[in-house]
Amino acid sequence: MVKEKRNGTGKSSLLLLGFMLLGSFLSAAAQDRIKIELNMGQERPRLAVPDFKAANGDPQTAPLNTVFNQVLWNDLDNAGIFDMVAKSFYPSQTPGQPAELQAKAWGDPPPNAGVLTFGSLGVNNGKVDVQGWLYDVKNPGAPQILGKQYKEDATPDMARMIAHRFADEIIARLGSGIAGIAESQIYFVSTRSGNKEIWSMDYDGANQKQITKLGSIALSPRISPDGSRLAFSGLTRDSWQIMMYSLELGRTVAFPRNAGDNFSPAWASDGTKIAFASTIHSGLSEIFVADANGAGARRLSTGKGDVSPVFNPKTNGQIAWVSGRTGLPQIYVMDADGSNVQKMTDQGYAVSPAWSPNGLLLAFAWVRNYGPGVLGGSDIYLMDIASRQIIQLTHDGGRNDFPSWSPDGRHIVFQSNRTGNEQIWSVLADGTHLQQLTRQGRNSQPNWSFK
Amino acid sequence: MAYAKANIFYEREEWKKPVLLSVGFHGLLVLSIAVWGYVAQQHSTANDWGIKQGDAVTAQLVSASIPIPKAEQSDNIVANESKGVTQTQPEAKPVEQPPDDAVPIQGKVKPQKIEKPVQQAHVTQPPRPVPTPETAVPYGEGGPVSGPFGSVTTANYKGGFSFQNADFGGKYGWYVDGVKRRVQANWLTYEIDPRIKAPHRAFIEFDITRDGSPANVHLAQSSGVPSLDQSAMRAIQRIDSFGKLPEGNSVTVDFWFDYPPK
Amino acid sequence: MNKSKSNRIVVLGVLAFLMVASGCKKKQPAPPPPPPPKAVSATLSANPTSIEAGQSATLTWSTENATDVALDGNKVDPSGSQTVSPTQTTTYHLTAKGAAGTQEATAQVSVTPKATPTPTPAPTPTVTDDQLFAQMVKDIYFDYDKADLRPDAQQALAQAAQVIKQKGWKVQIEGNCDDRGSTEYNLALGERRADSAKQALIRDGISADVLKTISYGKEKPQCTDQNEDCWQKNRRDHFSLLH
Repeated sequence: MVKEKRNGTGKSSLLLLGFMLLGSFLSAAAQDRIKIELNMGQERPRLAVPDFKAANGDPQTAPLNTVFNQVLWNDLDNAGIFDMVAKSFYPSQTPGQPAELQAKAWGDPPPNAGVLTFGSLGVNNGKVDVQGWLYDVKNPGAPQILGKQYKEDATPDMARMIAHRFADEIIARLGSGIAGIAESQIYFVSTRSGNKEIWSMDYDGANQKQITKLGSIALSPRISPDGSRLAFSGLTRDSWQIMMYSLELGRTVAFPRNAGDNFSPAWASDGTKIAFASTIHSGLSEIFVADANGAGARRLSTGKGDVSPVFNPKTNGQIAWVSGRTGLPQIYVMDADGSNVQKMTDQGYAVSPAWSPNGLLLAFAWVRNYGPGVLGGSDIYLMDIASRQIIQLTHDGGRNDFPSWSPDGRHIVFQSNRTGNEQIWSVLADGTHLQQLTRQGRNSQPNWSFK
Repeated sequence: MAYAKANIFYEREEWKKPVLLSVGFHGLLVLSIAVWGYVAQQHSTANDWGIKQGDAVTAQLVSASIPIPKAEQSDNIVANESKGVTQTQPEAKPVEQPPDDAVPIQGKVKPQKIEKPVQQAHVTQPPRPVPTPETAVPYGEGGPVSGPFGSVTTANYKGGFSFQNADFGGKYGWYVDGVKRRVQANWLTYEIDPRIKAPHRAFIEFDITRDGSPANVHLAQSSGVPSLDQSAMRAIQRIDSFGKLPEGNSVTVDFWFDYPPK
Repeated sequence: MNKSKSNRIVVLGVLAFLMVASGCKKKQPAPPPPPPPKAVSATLSANPTSIEAGQSATLTWSTENATDVALDGNKVDPSGSQTVSPTQTTTYHLTAKGAAGTQEATAQVSVTPKATPTPTPAPTPTVTDDQLFAQMVKDIYFDYDKADLRPDAQQALAQAAQVIKQKGWKVQIEGNCDDRGSTEYNLALGERRADSAKQALIRDGISADVLKTISYGKEKPQCTDQNEDCWQKNRRDHFSLLH
C-alpha cells in the first residue's frame, strides 16, 4: 500500500490560522471604525438621577411623580451616553431645588457623579408643574448647566411627555452633539386588530395606538420627515397601492394610483421625494422615484424583483435597495438618478437595507448561508459603506429583520421572533440596552421617525 | 486479514514522523493562539460586538398607569454597579488624586490619564490590562478637568488640548469634557503608518462655532509624518457638532496628537 | 251701526297693533360695522368629469384671498392645475385658508371601466364555470427563491390555456411565497412567479388583456407549519376567475 501523505493538511491549517489572525485584525479595525461612526467610542460622563421630589401633598402628585421619575431614568439610561450612577450610592438627602444641593455629597465617592439632575414635581389645580436642574457637581465655580420649568395638564401622558422633553434637553447639553430621541415615534405593522394595520408608539413602547383602518392588509409604513404624513402600501380589492395617511387630518389623502402593484415606499430626508417599487412598467417590480405628492414618477432600476428602496438621508444623492437580479436577493446602491449601480453584498440572502442618519452605515438583514433546508433565520448586520466592512449585531439566528435607525444614529429598532412570534425590539447599536417594545399580536416592519 | 494486519504493522512502523509532525503543528497552533490572544487584546476581538446568544434579556415594562420599578438587567454587559470606568481594572494602581478643591492653575500642565472605557466585558477572556502610566486619573474618580488646558492619554490617544478662552474651561468644564471625549474617540490610529517609532506630534487648531460645529480646521504645526497629520485632521473633521456652545459665538481650540502613544 | 263702529275699532286696533309690533320689530340702528376681511373663495373643477380607466383628467382650481391652499393635504399654489389619473371614482378636496376663514371645494372624477374592444361580451360565468375553472386551472408550484416554471407546471399551464381560450375566461394570477423570506422581497418574488405563468399562457395563445397578475408575497399562506411540505405548498401561483 502506498504511504499516505499527510503534509498537505499541515500547510492548510497554517494558512487557515493566518487568515483567522488577519480576520481578527480586520474585524477589530472594522469595529473601531464602526464604533466611531456610531459615536460610541467615547467615555461616558457619570450622571446621577435621583427621583424628583413631590412638591406638595396633592393626591395626584405622587403617582405622576412616580411616572415622571421612571421615564426620566429610562430615557437617560437608554440614550447609552451616560454612565448612570447606581442608586444605591446616592446620598440620603435628595435636593428638590438648588438651595438644597450639597454638591460635594454627590461629587465625592461613593456616588462620584460628574453631573446631577434634580428637581420637583407638584400638581396644582389640575396642572402639573415640574422644575428641573442639571448641575456640574465636580466644578465648584459655575455649576448650573440647565434650569427648566414645565407646566401641563396633570395626566400620566403629560408627565411622560415632560420627562421625555427634559431628558432630551439634558442629552442635547451633555451629548456633545448627539441629539436625544426621547420624543421620537416608531411606526409599525400589527395584527392585533384582526388584520395588518399601521400602528404607532413612543420610542420606549408606550402609547401604542392604531392609525390606519384599511380593513385589508397594510404594510411597510414610512413616516415623512416632518412627521405629518405616513406612506404605506395597502391592498385594495385588486392591487397594491401606495397610500398616504395624513396624521393632521386623521384620514388617508389622495395619492396617485396606477394599474400595477406598488410596494415599499421611502422618503427622501428633505421630504420632497418618495421612492417605491412598482410593477407598472414591466409586470415585474422595479424602483421608481416620484415627488412627494406622487406626481412625476420616473423609473430608476431595471432589475427583476427590485424592492425596498431607501435614500441616503445625509445627502439624498443615493438609493440603496434589494434586487433578485442575480438569484438570491442582494443589497445594491445607486445614485439617485439611477446611475452608478454598485453591489454591496455578494452572498447569502440580504434584504431590508436601512441607511444610518450620518450616511456612513447600512443596517440590513442577512442570512449568510441560505438554502432549501434552512429554517429562514436572519440576523441584523451593520456595514460601513466606505470600507464594506461588516459587523454582526444579532447572533441568535432567529428571524431578525427590518432594522430601522433612530434619529441619533445609535439605536436600531427591528423585528424578531425570538420569543416565538414576531415582535418589535430596540437596541443600542453595540448590542446593549436590548428591549422588547411590543407584546400583543404579531408586530413587524418598524420605522423610526426622523426626529 | 493478513493483509489488514500487515497494513497496521506497516503504519506502526511509520508513526514517528507523523507524531512529530502532529506535535509540532499542535505546538505551532498553541503558539499562534497565544500570540493571537495577546495581539487581539490590543484591539477588540472579532465576535464581541452585538447581542450575544443567551443574553439574559429583561423585558422592561414602562407603562403610564402602573409604574413598575425597573427590573435590574442580569448579565448585562455594560450597566452594573460599578464605580466607573475602571471597573475592569484587575489590579489597584497607585493613583494620583489631586485634592478635591484643587483649583485648576492656568497654564500648568497637569498630567491626566483618561482610560479607554471597556465597551463589552469579555466573557471568555481575562480582563484586559489597560496600559496606562502610573499617574492615571480616570474620569470621574479624580479632580475636575484642569480648566482649558491639559494633556490626556488614553490607550489610543495621547496628546492634549487647550481652549484659548481662559474663562471658558473654568465655567464650562462639562463642555470641554465633551469636546475632548469626541475628539479622542474619533482618532483612528490605525490610519497612521505603523513604522513610526520616534515620537511625533501634530497640532490641529479649529474653532467651535455657536451651534457647536467645528470650523477652520487646520494644521497649526505638522508632525512631519503625513499620515499622522491626516489622521489628526480627520479626527476633527469627522465630527458634525459638539453641541451648542453654552456661551459666546466662537471658541478656538488647539489639540495635539502624539504618536506613537507609548 | 254697531257693526261699523266695532269694525272701525278692530281696524284701529289692528293698525295700532301693527304699528307697535313693527315698532318692536324695528331694530336699533346698528353702529357702522368695521370693514370685514375680504371673503375667501375657492373653486375646484375637473375636466373632464368622467373618464375611462387609464385616461387622465385635469383638476383646475382658483382661490381668492387665501394664504394657505392645499389639495388633499398637499400644499399648492393659490391657482393652478394638476393632471390626475385615478383608477376609480375619486373626490378631490381643495382647502383654502385666509384671514376671513376657510373655504373648501370639491370636484369628482368618475371613472368608468375601459370599454372592451370585442363587440361580443364574454359569456357571464355561471356556478358551473367556477367549478370547471377550479378543476382545469390548478395551482402550480415553484422551487425556493425561483420563479421559473418547472416542467410539470408548464404542462399544467398548456392544458389550462386550452380551456381558458375556449371559454373566453378572464384570469387573475396570484403569486405566493413561503413564509421564510422577508415580507417585501417576497412581494417582489410573488410578482415574478405570477408573471412567469402569465408569459407562459401568452405563449400558449391567451391574450394579455384577459390576464391580470398580483402578488400576495407571504401574506396569504395556505398553511403555517415550519416544514418543507408546507413551504412547498405556499410557493405557488393560484388562479382565480375574474367575473
